Amino acid sequence: MQMPHYPRTIFHVDMDAFFVSVEELFDPSLKGKPVVVGGDRDERGVVSAASYAARQFGVHSAMPLRTAAKLCPQAIFVDGHPERYREYSHKVHEVLEHFSPLVEMASVDEAYLDMTGTERLHGRPLKSAHRLHAEMKSVTQLNCSIGIGTSRLIAKVSSAKAKPNGVLWVLPGQEAKFLAPLAVGDIPGVGKVTEQKLHAMDIKKVGDLARFDDRDLEDRFGKWGLALAGKSRGEDAGGWFDNEVGDSVDAKSISHEHTFNEDTGDAERLLSTLMRLSEMVARRLREAGFFARTIQLKLRYKDFTTLTRAHSLEHPTQMDNQIFEQIRNLFVAHWKKGAPVRLLGVQASHFERGSAQLDLLEPDQQQRWQNALAAVDHLRDKFGESAVGLARGMKGGFRERTHENPVGLPGKMPAKDANKD
Amino acid sequence: MPVEVAPAVATSTMEITVGKFELLRELTATQGVVERKTTIPILSNYLFEASGDKLSLTATDLDLSLRTSCNAKVKKEGACTIPARKLYDYVKLLPDADITIRLLDNHWVSIRCGRSNTKMVGMAKSNFPGLPVFPSAGAIKIPAGVLRSMIAKTGFAIASEESRYTLNGALMVLKPESITMVATDGHRLAHVERSGEKFDGVSGEMKTLIPKKAMDELKSLLDSDIETIDFAKDESTLFFRVGPRLLTSRQLTGQFPNYEAVLPKDITKSIALHGEELGAAIARVAQFADERSRAVRLRLEKGDLKISASSTETGESEDSIEIVYDGDPMAIGFNAQYLMDFIKATGSGEVKLELKDAQSAGQLRPADSEDYKYRYIVMPMRI
Repeated sequence: MQMPHYPRTIFHVDMDAFFVSVEELFDPSLKGKPVVVGGDRDERGVVSAASYAARQFGVHSAMPLRTAAKLCPQAIFVDGHPERYREYSHKVHEVLEHFSPLVEMASVDEAYLDMTGTERLHGRPLKSAHRLHAEMKSVTQLNCSIGIGTSRLIAKVSSAKAKPNGVLWVLPGQEAKFLAPLAVGDIPGVGKVTEQKLHAMDIKKVGDLARFDDRDLEDRFGKWGLALAGKSRGEDAGGWFDNEVGDSVDAKSISHEHTFNEDTGDAERLLSTLMRLSEMVARRLREAGFFARTIQLKLRYKDFTTLTRAHSLEHPTQMDNQIFEQIRNLFVAHWKKGAPVRLLGVQASHFERGSAQLDLLEPDQQQRWQNALAAVDHLRDKFGESAVGLARGMKGGFRERTHENPVGLPGKMPAKDANKD
Repeated sequence: MPVEVAPAVATSTMEITVGKFELLRELTATQGVVERKTTIPILSNYLFEASGDKLSLTATDLDLSLRTSCNAKVKKEGACTIPARKLYDYVKLLPDADITIRLLDNHWVSIRCGRSNTKMVGMAKSNFPGLPVFPSAGAIKIPAGVLRSMIAKTGFAIASEESRYTLNGALMVLKPESITMVATDGHRLAHVERSGEKFDGVSGEMKTLIPKKAMDELKSLLDSDIETIDFAKDESTLFFRVGPRLLTSRQLTGQFPNYEAVLPKDITKSIALHGEELGAAIARVAQFADERSRAVRLRLEKGDLKISASSTETGESEDSIEIVYDGDPMAIGFNAQYLMDFIKATGSGEVKLELKDAQSAGQLRPADSEDYKYRYIVMPMRI
């Protein structure tokens, strides 16, 4: 039988309330209850994720925990467990790889799959989506929603419409019709600013946008206007939507930050926190196979004045101790001694694929460190992030904040509203 | 009962007249030592001391200090401090005439020259840090030209990253009849030795780590027609007396790496090249090297050395140089800058490039070096 030929078939697979669902696996009593992941109710910090039940009270991610506690006093507040999410994210990734070689984890809990040409193997899109959905559930015990379209944009928008626990296929040719009744703000990449500008032009629905001439949009918004015009027809245009699924998008920087529950001016504590952050950054550099040339310190004081200071290395690195060394120097040089600090951050950037220069004095030292750190990474994979660390970082022990950076694709942070899942 | 009030203690005085040219010469010589970004304000000041017929100027950043002097008409002996950078910038703009410097109340300093009249805000001279005193015995005379040449041959290889503390300086080894200087940043090493000198007062081996900043300062101090300098050290400080100027530097403590262990021993390939020709080829090719890694590839073939580089942004480039070589072909990568540093330090003569394999250190040295035994060891890059 001749299989029908579809132009391009993109799946957007988005895990339903991912962090909360993972927590429920570890504590089934949380099921169905308003749950807030991110920390204690009276802690400084923000909501990483909220269960559907909590969202009904207006709780959403990135909201201060204390605000969430006010909106939904009965909510159960739990600490995030980034190592659990990473572990499950890996499982999700493995399932997806059974379905297409072209998988791009856009964040820890969502991915694009290019399914073009897999009909012979997996059947028609809807059929393979149902199989994927079932396999995801049986392997990970997690629900996901799947959007199917001829573009990443359509796939993404339709998975949002399919939520929770659904599959939605926008038939080829029906893209504009599908988008027309949606609010312009539903288009990925259209933020508050663009939305306001469009509203000012009396463009509220995507259909209104599609009726505009490309030229007019270009006149008003420049290049972004052309991208908008394309998006209104369901095309991938502008920003990282231009990339093919599976294209490796090299990250520009990798960073970790920590906000203290109570501001602190204790040098030892600050330094050990920086050690810990350096370790986390280095780990992600190694995961991605990057060597960073520039190391940056971020320092925010009690009064929110923030400074960033960077140092460029002669030879790029991906090693904990070398990153910390730079960070410590920057910190010592720029911290107002004793001044209470609210937030610290460590960032690595200017990546290279390898450190090519061999060492004259200690030819084995680099290799020894690399072997040691590979072993450490392995332990962390197995027993969690805090299983092992450099001595200095021990005192700075803090929970890693839950973030949505994709596994193995560090630093790429697509604009994402976690409440849509 | 009437109380006798003690008259205010006469504040310290100082009044001198000095030629603009003489003053400016010494200000220029000391600028490098003045700390610019200091958190200790007094360190951005000069200490001026007038006595006899001399004005002496001192600048320090606590690690390094430089004391120099010039002739002056001293009307009132005394001392004061003056902001160093501001004074330098101002004196440069003054006409070429006599300058009168006078200490006023509250550490202000009056500077008059012709029809120009300025009062600068100084600080109490008692705040100025005390300086180490040149040891009364044990000074060693070193020919200035030798020291200058050795610094030029090694200074560039000192680590600029502060992380490897003991590499932030060069090692000077004095023996009764030789002087050696070694510097390395962990990726390359420059080693120069000169025999046939005579160093009175040195017995056995005298090892000294000279910090990079002191090396740089010495290099410019030695650009004069002084023939010999006096070198001395105590537990914490190094002293270099160069004519009327005295440079002191805090010693670097710690162990300089065992450099002898890394000097290549099993060289199997050796080619002779003209330094100038090699330098020009590398300079051309390096235009197309990766901007950050600066990697260039050297390929030895029969009768031919090919030097090439490529980067995705700029393209690729190759130069070839005729050589006498009939060994097995081999390719090795180096940081172009490292090679250029050596060629710049050796000048235009013939150089030897000696290699073992692509993973082992290469060695460069001048082919005929009668006065100095000079060798430069560079680790390759993976290519």
